[in-house]
Amino acid sequence: MAGNFWQSSHHQQWILDKQDLVRDRQHDLNILTEEEYQKIFNFFASIIQVLGEQLKLRQQVIATATVYFKRFYARNSLKCIDPLLLSPTCVFLASKVEEFGVISNSRLITTCQTVIKNKFSYAYGQQEFPYRTNHILECEFYLLENLDCCLIVYQPYRPLLLFVQDIGPDEQLLTYAWRIVNDSLRTDVSLLFPPYQIAIGAMHIACVMLGKENLKPWLAELNVDMDKIQEIVRSIINLYEMWKSYDEKKEIQGLLGKMPKPKPAPQR
Amino acid sequence: MADNFQNNKTMAPVMMDYDFKIKTQNERSKVEDLFDFEGCKVGRGTYGHVYKARRKDGSDTKDYALKQIEGTGLSMSACREIALLRELKHSNVINLIRVFLSHTDRKVWLLFDYAEHDLWHIIKFHRAAKANKKSVMVPKGMVKSLLYQILDGIHYLHSNWVLHRDLKPANILVMGEGPERGRVKIADMGFARLFNAPLKPLADLDPVVVTFWYRAPELLLGARHYTKAIDIWAIGCIFAELLTSEPIFHCRQEDIKTSNPYHHDQLDRIFNVMGFPQEKDWEDIRKMPEHATLVKDFKRSNYQNCSLSKYMDRHKIKPDSKAFSLLQRLLLMDPNRRITSEQAMQDPYFTEDPLPTQDVFAGCPIPYPKREFLTDDDQEDKSESKARQNQQQQQNPNTQQNQVQANSHDHGANNAKRMRMPGPNQGQSNQGNGQQEFHQQQQMMFGAQQQGANSQQQANFQQRF
Repeated sequence: MAGNFWQSSHHQQWILDKQDLVRDRQHDLNILTEEEYQKIFNFFASIIQVLGEQLKLRQQVIATATVYFKRFYARNSLKCIDPLLLSPTCVFLASKVEEFGVISNSRLITTCQTVIKNKFSYAYGQQEFPYRTNHILECEFYLLENLDCCLIVYQPYRPLLLFVQDIGPDEQLLTYAWRIVNDSLRTDVSLLFPPYQIAIGAMHIACVMLGKENLKPWLAELNVDMDKIQEIVRSIINLYEMWKSYDEKKEIQGLLGKMPKPKPAPQR
Repeated sequence: MADNFQNNKTMAPVMMDYDFKIKTQNERSKVEDLFDFEGCKVGRGTYGHVYKARRKDGSDTKDYALKQIEGTGLSMSACREIALLRELKHSNVINLIRVFLSHTDRKVWLLFDYAEHDLWHIIKFHRAAKANKKSVMVPKGMVKSLLYQILDGIHYLHSNWVLHRDLKPANILVMGEGPERGRVKIADMGFARLFNAPLKPLADLDPVVVTFWYRAPELLLGARHYTKAIDIWAIGCIFAELLTSEPIFHCRQEDIKTSNPYHHDQLDRIFNVMGFPQEKDWEDIRKMPEHATLVKDFKRSNYQNCSLSKYMDRHKIKPDSKAFSLLQRLLLMDPNRRITSEQAMQDPYFTEDPLPTQDVFAGCPIPYPKREFLTDDDQEDKSESKARQNQQQQQNPNTQQNQVQANSHDHGANNAKRMRMPGPNQGQSNQGNGQQEFHQQQQMMFGAQQQGANSQQQANFQQRF
């Protein structure tokens, strides 16, 4: 569906307020620092990305799955559902919504097992992927409820294509900006800003990186809120700064250990 | 060895927090706690079951349609249906009010406004009247209003790049008495029913529900993708059927249990009405996957005396009428030449008296019967009636609120067990529980799609790119 963003549930319900987001995360931020919290999301975004690539999903589907994941935890603590279960569940649901076709249950589980074993052993060691189809199906209902059935997510990719076309075709700019949009999935911008603004933010960064003359004249014509674009740019640049001094392979076990976890039913 | 994921590798992980689970459970409302619908089944098909429902708390006395989706969990078509209906908002498209997920039996329920009528039943009523030489055709003004609203709804869907893919009279609902009296509601979009990659092979479906009568010629010749033009063809078929009370491309459907889109008898029927397409009328016909089969199976000379104008003339629709001229533009064989819903809405037919009305019944009493409740007996009839399907001229409705095909048959004994529905409650009150529901029921004016100056402006911004 390529409907009207302004009338969508994405615009009406899921462009969140920064203050609300911070408030809703308070439980987790009592335990984790903001940076630790971001590193954990960065890690699970990687899991979703790799799962999606292994399942040969389009980037659009992967992005949608990542946004589902972020939306769920925007309203809930990390302890509510184990993010290792929610990640594949988001991929599973997004693939159906985006009409990729249903991924068979067994293929999904097998892919999770292989991916965790082969690509994320630095986080889970010899630990196998512990969930089965029934867990994913149960989790899927909780996910759908928490998303309030808002399943159509608008992504920055389409506006990005249109914007780059508008400026004049530039393959290099498009490639860079596209990757920056992918990276933006590891920040909160998809929860806070409309996708067209994220696309502009990504173009802005790409232009700076490529040393291209700035976008100002074109942006002036667009009449967009430059403060918002600056906020987006800052979030993404912060992510790049964080990456410079961060070795996920070394730190992630400690972070996952510290992460708030689900508590079982009380023993009788 | 890393074991920070859980302390004991052999222990089953705790996937969900107990407090979270209990809290969500307590907040979740169950469909059977909120609605009365026992014994009120009004439809059954491959999509599931539809019940006529009322709120238990009496916060309003409206009728609702509750659709229990076939099977358990979230199939792709259920996902697509929820995802798209959650976003779509138009006065001529069925309005999804709420979704219920039943965790215990993994059933999915969708809550809609209740539509008392549909075109399958309306046309059936007129056919019966005609057979008894009692009554006449569907009133001319009503046909126009129906068509206009169908086009309006489809235009909205098409401009959002949603294709219906399964338009037929049974999927065109019409609201009964109430604030939206006589309003068309397009329902049961084929959300995941890709023709070339159907979820279930067509052969697995109940053959009666796969009707070819509204299927565009390019699909029958193997076109691989659904297009807007395919929906437009179906609208043309429905328009003709409204004008004549006969399915224009009626065809016996005995050998429909095939996954091959090519369907000889259906094409033969189309050519018998329309004439065999001239090369100049449909240049790309040669590019159709089944073109070779077409050339092999059909002889142009067999259809020399066939044309749409002759067919419609036989049914008392004059070739120089505005209705005919619009019909002809909707039923062009070449999908590239078929008009769009937008162009169709601009057709002079709609500016000629009588003008289309929001209430398709134009304030007149509604002669059509209300939906009947289905009993479990009907289910047992199914195999029997299935065997008789080929003798039946009626197609089977397959829509969210339709009765089973058994209803179109003369049942005698079983009919006696069927109850009449209670009269409608005319005094409709406000909608309760508004907050928990996606959007308030629409009370939009005819054709009004924009939500205000502000969103109009924003929409324009988006359109610039």
